[in-house]
Amino acid sequence: MKKLLAVLMSVMLMALVVPGLCEDAVDIKIATWTSNADQLALLGSFVDEFAAEKGIKINCTFESLSGAEYSSLLLMDLQSNAAPDAFWIMEADIKAYIAAGLCAKLDDALVSYDPADLDDGAMSLWRDGGSTYAVPFSTSPFIMIYNADLFEQAGLKDPNEYLAEGTWTWETFRECMKTIKEKTGVYGYMTVNNAGFADRTVMNLTPFVRGFGGDFWTDDLEVKIDTPESIAAVQMFHDMVYEDGSVVPPGDESNFFTGAAACTFNQISQLGNLKDVTWKWGVTKLPGGVSFLGQAAMAANPNSKNAGLAAELVGYMTSATCAARVAKYWPPCRKSVLESEEFLSSNAYLTADQMKEIVAGSVLNSRAMSNNINSPTINIETEILFDKLWNADADVASILGQIATVYRNNLQ
Amino acid sequence: MRSNTIRRAVRWIPRILLLTLVTLAFVYPFWWMLVNSLNTNAQVFGQPRLLPQGWQWQNYIEIFRKQPFARHYLNTILVACVGTLGNVLISALSGYAFSRIRFPGRELLFILLLTALMMPIEVIIIPLFYQMKAWNMTDSLYPLMFIPIFCSQGALSAFMFRQFFVTIPSELEEAGRLDGLSHFGIFRYIMLPISMPVASSAGILAFLASWNTYLEPLVFTTSIEKYTLPLSLNNFNDVYGQPEWHLQLAATTLSVIPVMIVYLVFQEKVTDAMVSSGLKG
Amino acid sequence: MNRSNLAHRRRLAESATGYAFILPQMLGFVLFVLIPLINVFIYSFQNKNILFGTNAFCGLDNYRKLFSDPLFHLTLKNTLIFSFFLVPLNLILAMAMALYLGDGQFGTRYIRTVIFLPVVTSGVAWSIVWKYLLQGGTAGPINWFLAQLGIQGPNWLQQKGWAMGAVIVTRVLKNLGTNVLVFYGAVMNLDSGIVEAARIDGASGMTLFRKIKLPLLMPTVLMASIVTMIGSMRVFDTIKLMTDGGPEGSTMVLVYYVYYQGFKAFKSGYASAIAVILFLIMLLMTLLQWLARKKVSHYEE
Repeated sequence: MKKLLAVLMSVMLMALVVPGLCEDAVDIKIATWTSNADQLALLGSFVDEFAAEKGIKINCTFESLSGAEYSSLLLMDLQSNAAPDAFWIMEADIKAYIAAGLCAKLDDALVSYDPADLDDGAMSLWRDGGSTYAVPFSTSPFIMIYNADLFEQAGLKDPNEYLAEGTWTWETFRECMKTIKEKTGVYGYMTVNNAGFADRTVMNLTPFVRGFGGDFWTDDLEVKIDTPESIAAVQMFHDMVYEDGSVVPPGDESNFFTGAAACTFNQISQLGNLKDVTWKWGVTKLPGGVSFLGQAAMAANPNSKNAGLAAELVGYMTSATCAARVAKYWPPCRKSVLESEEFLSSNAYLTADQMKEIVAGSVLNSRAMSNNINSPTINIETEILFDKLWNADADVASILGQIATVYRNNLQ
Repeated sequence: MRSNTIRRAVRWIPRILLLTLVTLAFVYPFWWMLVNSLNTNAQVFGQPRLLPQGWQWQNYIEIFRKQPFARHYLNTILVACVGTLGNVLISALSGYAFSRIRFPGRELLFILLLTALMMPIEVIIIPLFYQMKAWNMTDSLYPLMFIPIFCSQGALSAFMFRQFFVTIPSELEEAGRLDGLSHFGIFRYIMLPISMPVASSAGILAFLASWNTYLEPLVFTTSIEKYTLPLSLNNFNDVYGQPEWHLQLAATTLSVIPVMIVYLVFQEKVTDAMVSSGLKG
Repeated sequence: MNRSNLAHRRRLAESATGYAFILPQMLGFVLFVLIPLINVFIYSFQNKNILFGTNAFCGLDNYRKLFSDPLFHLTLKNTLIFSFFLVPLNLILAMAMALYLGDGQFGTRYIRTVIFLPVVTSGVAWSIVWKYLLQGGTAGPINWFLAQLGIQGPNWLQQKGWAMGAVIVTRVLKNLGTNVLVFYGAVMNLDSGIVEAARIDGASGMTLFRKIKLPLLMPTVLMASIVTMIGSMRVFDTIKLMTDGGPEGSTMVLVYYVYYQGFKAFKSGYASAIAVILFLIMLLMTLLQWLARKKVSHYEE
């Protein structure tokens, strides 16, 4: 009897043994969605510098959560008893997180890091009631990255020539894509991360919609996705997919970076994918002069037992010194950095002129995606409605009308 | 003579066809997985081939570099072993009591326990999440160990043990009692040894259920070092969440192989266990 | 007096032992099944939200919302469609295979072995592999084969009508082995005397099956169909990994909708109400199974 009990007990005990850690170092956990080793090493070095500056020892772990499900995973993570002390946060989540009290106020921690240097326009999303809850480490405009060889093979001008001529409109863009598909057989446009029919739908449609003078909703919560302008924009994109056949369609894995599409819209952090390509590539502004910004920020967990330290760490990691060093991936919204020579020469793939013209110029006067406290619900409820768009015979106006209804019911 | 040959050939055609179809549906997917686990990401799609083009053995090294895959493997083994052991021992005890020991409320308690059998974990996953949070057990492997022990899998094992022990003639117990054994002694030295066939069936089912479980780790683990294999497989994505197919397939291959080997070695035992429970749809 | 006292004490001791034996299991049952089950009912009357941390009682709001939630209606419909197609497909294929195997024909051993491979494989691995096999265009192997035959395959997982079919087939293949072997067992246990007698009377092929074998196998088929139906309600991994409930919500089923509302939209109160509905459906089917089993054992007597 005793033997068996002993076995039982030891099984249960085995399950309950936790490797006890006792060190003086402070444990800090940071949740991110990058798994790029270079980027993580750079971020890790910031933490070390910060620790050295404070004269403490920090045991920092980075947790890379899958980007496609980041919102859901991060929240589960914050609810767990191994919650991160600081975390990257996406635009769509910030309002809800502030309302839910999941982001610590950073005002005190930021004092030593020149908060006035942060551009007010770029900060508006991350502030609420006069307090700052997160600091963007990336304020990155969308640019067009293209395969110059394919444009040439199709007998087209280089997109930058159209831009110089002042004819780089959405109509030109559509024509170019169509021509490339007809002349070379290669798809023209690849949606953002080729996920424009899945979890990047809104991000992919935003430049089109804004380019036509429409919007999803404005900062004053006026719903504009069912205006004639927005409908025309989405209709055009739809036609490009289903009439022209010039867009990499849903479920097709043809990738721009492997030469299977002629262009895509994305941020400069993606340029690293061009490392090994053998064809000539270029970058230019989005058609129609649309400037559209993707932001990502860092915040501190107010419920962490090292909340104060985490807030200071966020301040340090988004300070001018650090921002300058990550600028090759993520343009900052710090004016001092954007204007510096180092910034303009920071990206191995872009010339100083391109950085100035296409990147820095856009950072300070672009708008991010539409955003709301109810974004988690809105995203979930409109997901299946957006799916309906991706049929050849979809009634774009009616679908956008249904989406507008969901927006109106949920925006607050 | 000739017509005979033709008739024989005609009789063979459907059989060959059937075998081909069966092979395509049940063997080819695994073969395809294996082949493409040795290809580069770009070679995965397009014309399927019977042999790898790239022979990228480094895929199998890369998966360990990309995430703590060895850790995930160990986690899965730990969870499955603790879950299986606990499941079998605890349900053997209760299965024995429910069949051979008389106590008030026995039938009622047993029926109550059986309600767990019909309840998919999805029904109670939300309250369980809050409960584990209150117990500081989120982001740990404990829920993954407890659930196969106590939820539907536990009830199933208890049911199997009870059904088995009911059929044991009482003479065996009498003999044990005459030898001065207590109930526990009888259980330990007489009943448990003869229940090995049931124990192994219950164990196989619990092990497979635990090894393959997906929703529970999805909800209860968040740190990457706590992941189990099913989560790990779906986590071979590049920075923007696009899957890295070749690595995913290599990892999937590694996760499937041990189960396959166990199955092929103990085929009769495994199929008997699954068929007798007949719980899958 | 003394003796009955002793007997009484023996009984008490026996009861105590019994309780001690079932204690671990029952304790775990209460903590991990019973309390959560009670809580799921309680939560379904609250506006519980994981994100905002709300917790207040909200009466029947969640249930009222269920009635007006088009996605929930779609989910119910999908769940029905899923089971409605999966169960017969599974049973017919399994029966055909079992009859083939029962005749001891060529390749029996091989088929019995490989048909069970997916059953022991994790749903995650099986879904991942099939997701690739079913890729659209000509990228996926299935469409590549179709293209060789001059057929342009659909974009299986991303086109509305096709996704559900693709998921059902994937799922049928995954679990077919169990029913094949269940039926095979039953076929092998058929009273060979009756079958032989019928054969001598001139029954063969389809008639033999319809008139003689099927009625004898009916109890097994009935049980298997209910068990398969219950199992078909639990398709979480396949849906999550292959379609994520899309396109247009056309593969959203109850188990996945619980997760979707609970852990993606964070509305745990609302998700609990869905879970309650799921529970009631499972309860109903279990009752059905219980009744069927009674009837089956009646048959056998």
